[in-house]
Amino acid sequence: MQTLKSKQNPPQEKNQNQAIFALILIAVIIIAAIVFNIITGGEFLDSTNIVIVLSHIVWPTFVAWGFCFLFACGYTDLSIGAIIVLGSFATTIFGNWLGYPGVILGGIFVGTLLTFLNFNVFAFTKIPSWIAGISLAMIYEALAVFLKVNKTTEALIYVEMDKSLRLLGKLPWSVIVLAIGLVCAYIVYNRTSVGLNIRALGGNKEVSKALGINITKTLLMVGLISGLFIGLASVIQQSIAGRTLVKTGLTSINMMFHPLAIVLLAQVLQKRLNIIIAVPICSIIIYAIFNLLTLVRVPSGTLQEAFLGAFLIAFGIIGQRGSKGVVK
Amino acid sequence: MSADIMLEIKELNKYFGPTHANKDISFTIKKGEIKGLIGENGSGKSTLISQIAGLYASDSGTMLLNGEPYSPSSPVDANNHAISIVMQELGVIGSLPAGVNVFLGRTKQFTKNGIVNLKSLNKAAAEQFKKWDLPYVPLNKLTDGMMIETRKIIELARALSVEPQLLLLDEITQSLSMNNRNKLYELINKLKSMGRSVIVISHDVEELIHITDSITVLRDGEVVGDVISNDTSADDIKRMMVGREISGDYYRDDMKPEYGDDVVVSVRNLTVPGEIEDVSFDVHESEILGFCGLSDSGIHTVGKAVYGLLKPSGGQVYLNSKELVIKKASKALRNNMAYVPKDRDNEALMIHASIHDNFNLPSLTELQGSIGYLSPGKLKKLALEMTNKLSVKCTDIYQTMDALSGGNKQKVNLGRWLAKDIKLLILDCPTRGVDVGVKAYIYSLIKEAKKNGTATILISDELTEVLGMSDRLIVMKDGRVNDVIHRDEDFTEQSVIKVMI
Amino acid sequence: MMKMKKIRISLQDVVPFAAFIIIFSFFAITSKGSVLSAFNLSILLDQSVMTIIVGCGALFVVAQGSIDLSVGVNLAFTSVVATWAANAAGDWLLIPVALIVGTLVGAFTGTVVSRFKVPSFMVTIAMLIGMRGIVNYIQSFISTQAIPESMMILSEPYVKYPAFLLIIIVLAYVFEFTKVGKYCKAIGENETTARFVGVPVTFMKIVAFAICGLTVGLGSLFSLSSNGGTSQQIGLFFEMKVAMAIFFGGVLVTGGTSAKLYKVLLGSFSITIIVNGLNHIGLSQTQYSQSIQGILLLLILGVTILASKKSRKSAQLPDEAEAIDEQAEEKTAHLK
Repeated sequence: MQTLKSKQNPPQEKNQNQAIFALILIAVIIIAAIVFNIITGGEFLDSTNIVIVLSHIVWPTFVAWGFCFLFACGYTDLSIGAIIVLGSFATTIFGNWLGYPGVILGGIFVGTLLTFLNFNVFAFTKIPSWIAGISLAMIYEALAVFLKVNKTTEALIYVEMDKSLRLLGKLPWSVIVLAIGLVCAYIVYNRTSVGLNIRALGGNKEVSKALGINITKTLLMVGLISGLFIGLASVIQQSIAGRTLVKTGLTSINMMFHPLAIVLLAQVLQKRLNIIIAVPICSIIIYAIFNLLTLVRVPSGTLQEAFLGAFLIAFGIIGQRGSKGVVK
Repeated sequence: MSADIMLEIKELNKYFGPTHANKDISFTIKKGEIKGLIGENGSGKSTLISQIAGLYASDSGTMLLNGEPYSPSSPVDANNHAISIVMQELGVIGSLPAGVNVFLGRTKQFTKNGIVNLKSLNKAAAEQFKKWDLPYVPLNKLTDGMMIETRKIIELARALSVEPQLLLLDEITQSLSMNNRNKLYELINKLKSMGRSVIVISHDVEELIHITDSITVLRDGEVVGDVISNDTSADDIKRMMVGREISGDYYRDDMKPEYGDDVVVSVRNLTVPGEIEDVSFDVHESEILGFCGLSDSGIHTVGKAVYGLLKPSGGQVYLNSKELVIKKASKALRNNMAYVPKDRDNEALMIHASIHDNFNLPSLTELQGSIGYLSPGKLKKLALEMTNKLSVKCTDIYQTMDALSGGNKQKVNLGRWLAKDIKLLILDCPTRGVDVGVKAYIYSLIKEAKKNGTATILISDELTEVLGMSDRLIVMKDGRVNDVIHRDEDFTEQSVIKVMI
Repeated sequence: MMKMKKIRISLQDVVPFAAFIIIFSFFAITSKGSVLSAFNLSILLDQSVMTIIVGCGALFVVAQGSIDLSVGVNLAFTSVVATWAANAAGDWLLIPVALIVGTLVGAFTGTVVSRFKVPSFMVTIAMLIGMRGIVNYIQSFISTQAIPESMMILSEPYVKYPAFLLIIIVLAYVFEFTKVGKYCKAIGENETTARFVGVPVTFMKIVAFAICGLTVGLGSLFSLSSNGGTSQQIGLFFEMKVAMAIFFGGVLVTGGTSAKLYKVLLGSFSITIIVNGLNHIGLSQTQYSQSIQGILLLLILGVTILASKKSRKSAQLPDEAEAIDEQAEEKTAHLK
């Protein structure tokens, strides 16, 4: 019988190939970029355009890393968009008040606190995380409206951050933060007990339990870790945009679509490339595609969103290929 | 108490609801002793070692480890007392590398400044493999896609890495190939020479006699024998395992294959990749066709594939009376076939729904009136009739299934098909986890179905059951049909086991 | 042993009634009775119509343990396409186009969910953004958002209410008294069991989503005729209103036999009263209504789950009888 079973999935030489695969992927991206450049008549690889792409991938990448931890233990949180809005508020409010320490700590604190809170809800109420996340998103969105700073102009609800505080959104700094984030995410995901425990939990809850992993504690740690990444994402998002629009009617979920597309694509590549490393590469791919769509004058707000929705479904389908379990 | 006793178990009891899984179990294991534990399915062996390993709490009784009271609160607690287990079906985590799997839950010891040093972890894991002379496993690779055997070896390394004084092995030899089995025997001897003890559960009597010092035989949750391996024979053990004489009306009393000439279903060259290969057989009217084989022989797959639940890569299931090829379960259902899966709670029943709903589910098509109307009265009538006919013990038909005992659940599981006019009945371990009374009742139902002309495919892990009931017995090995034995031929356990292994 | 008639009330069934009564009396008191005025009650009914129709369709999906969060955007899409077709090629096209488009979108979602095994909330959320993009795109170039004058007849009370009743009766019949409904519930109870018995699970999932889409098509006719046409805002947040109606009615997120049609009626009234009542007591602004709805949703989900677990726990003690030898094996099987 063993001989029969063994034919199914020959173990691959993953580690050696990983670096090569990443290089091939980057080479493909470069070639694609050159092709894109020709299509757009030189606009795509124009230096200002590259700066735009590079600075815009940073915060979705952080959110995507947060998702990696969430998904690794089998949970989904749809209130992340609303958390980012609140985190951005905190960044601005504390930043305008305390300067840079406020910028960084304010956003991180709020992001971490709320995500951690969510995981308390998930862990203790047993409500499926996606619907609990939607409920929490509604509450957080409402909270953002309560907190809107600009009370006089009802129509345009946003808060604005002082220009001098927005260095993290600018090029050398944002990429440096991205690099630090990559190292941290990689280490936590692959090289810490808690990272390994999180992945064990997602792999098989019963085995994890039998091996003495504390399920509740691990879940709460997921909340903390992904919260840190999401908090940082809101800091960077605010540094780029300088202001945040309040979202209501669950439109905050829209903020999660790009990161979601990134993670789903990264999951597709996961078999060949560590998901943490795959995430920034996928960010570049996704953003380059949408940048291209913008450059070739595909209207945003309409057809670009249609493409995004189609990508999500397509990546979802590819990612689920060959899965045999029950999916609701 | 003598100093060379490692673990003493006194009157250990375990209940699962009304089922008394372990009744006053008592025995001792000396240091350096290799003990075998054997018994039929459901005799309580796995429950017993799960209690020792800290997976279940005991309801009463005591355990003394090296003279000290021992009642493990968790497997980790058991590990701390130098007791570790390799479970029959627990497994490893596919999304993590093999090396990490060995030390999962104990990665703290390799952590420096919060970072797990994978190099030293893998080095430690490699040392375990070397120390115990385990076959090579690539420690950096994810266990996803590794062979079952390799995964089992990783589990073994995990259990050994806690430096157990007492190692519990629950049916692990059956997933090992011959040379690795020999390695395991060497390993057990090594542990013995180090003064450590091992409890081995196996269905293979000869193997057990060969590798152990003493054997404890369990039956229906009780210790029925405690023998020195050198002084016993396989036949003695088997007699103790079965215990009761198999009476005439329990199984069938005739020894002649009797069935009609009409072939109900023909299976031709059925192949499911990695599971079964090139399986062909006919099942006739009024025939009980038995299937037996070792765990990985593919007998359970045959049942699923015939009912159209698996997509075969080749071959077909042909329903003769209607000249149809069965490709989907929905087609099988429409054409009077029935399937009773092995895993009652997860695959067969809607456990949180009512008895009423469970009885009706397979018969909805037959109960339909005009414009698809399902009259609540009709549904209720069917559920009431079947509940009464099978004397399902319940408060009323709206009680949820999870409130019923295993035997009564199984009555619903099997009985709901008997409400229909069934041509082919596929039974996968129909008496698994039910008590003797219900068991006898289920056999009588099978006999009744036979009398009514129903063709039955009876798949079972229990040899006595298929031997007792079948007209013909198909013995499978490694996913292939190894032999077909008729009831009037050499219809004994010995001859069947010879073909099985 | 078997009593003929025994009224069975489980804790789980009490929750939605309790929630409804609490919500209703709360607003009746705090609004000093203005919620109860005849005029307002008729408004309540009017406001519930859409939620009830689509809620009853979505119930087929929820019964299977899935969710359709794209009903709002499907409503917008269907409305826009039907209006466009009616204005371009003939008034009467409004009705068939709305029904067909709604059903097709539902069937597409169902296909992705069932054949490709992508979780339904994921697919429908992706639809949420993708289809909204398409709707906005169509709206950017079509000239009129209004439906043809002749089609306004659909909003006349003598057409609207009989149609509404008929739709509910048909849906109730299909859900409670035919194989379709029973199979949907069986899939929600245990999909593996349903498959092993021989229920065509993949097909039934597509059917459920298609029924849901069909009710969206019907809903779009009600919405178009009462509003006179489409707008940028059409269908926004509607998916949550429908989901909340179902869950406020006490249907479990996991579906199964907890899904009953009357619960949708109850839940729809509950959610409409909340929205309407908040208006009456001066808390209509988004921040209040949305946070209150969010908190109530969490609360009701938590209570429903708790109630179902409690009523099951009392029954569960003998259940463990199962175990015996293969316990460990079963334990891992639960997870796979």
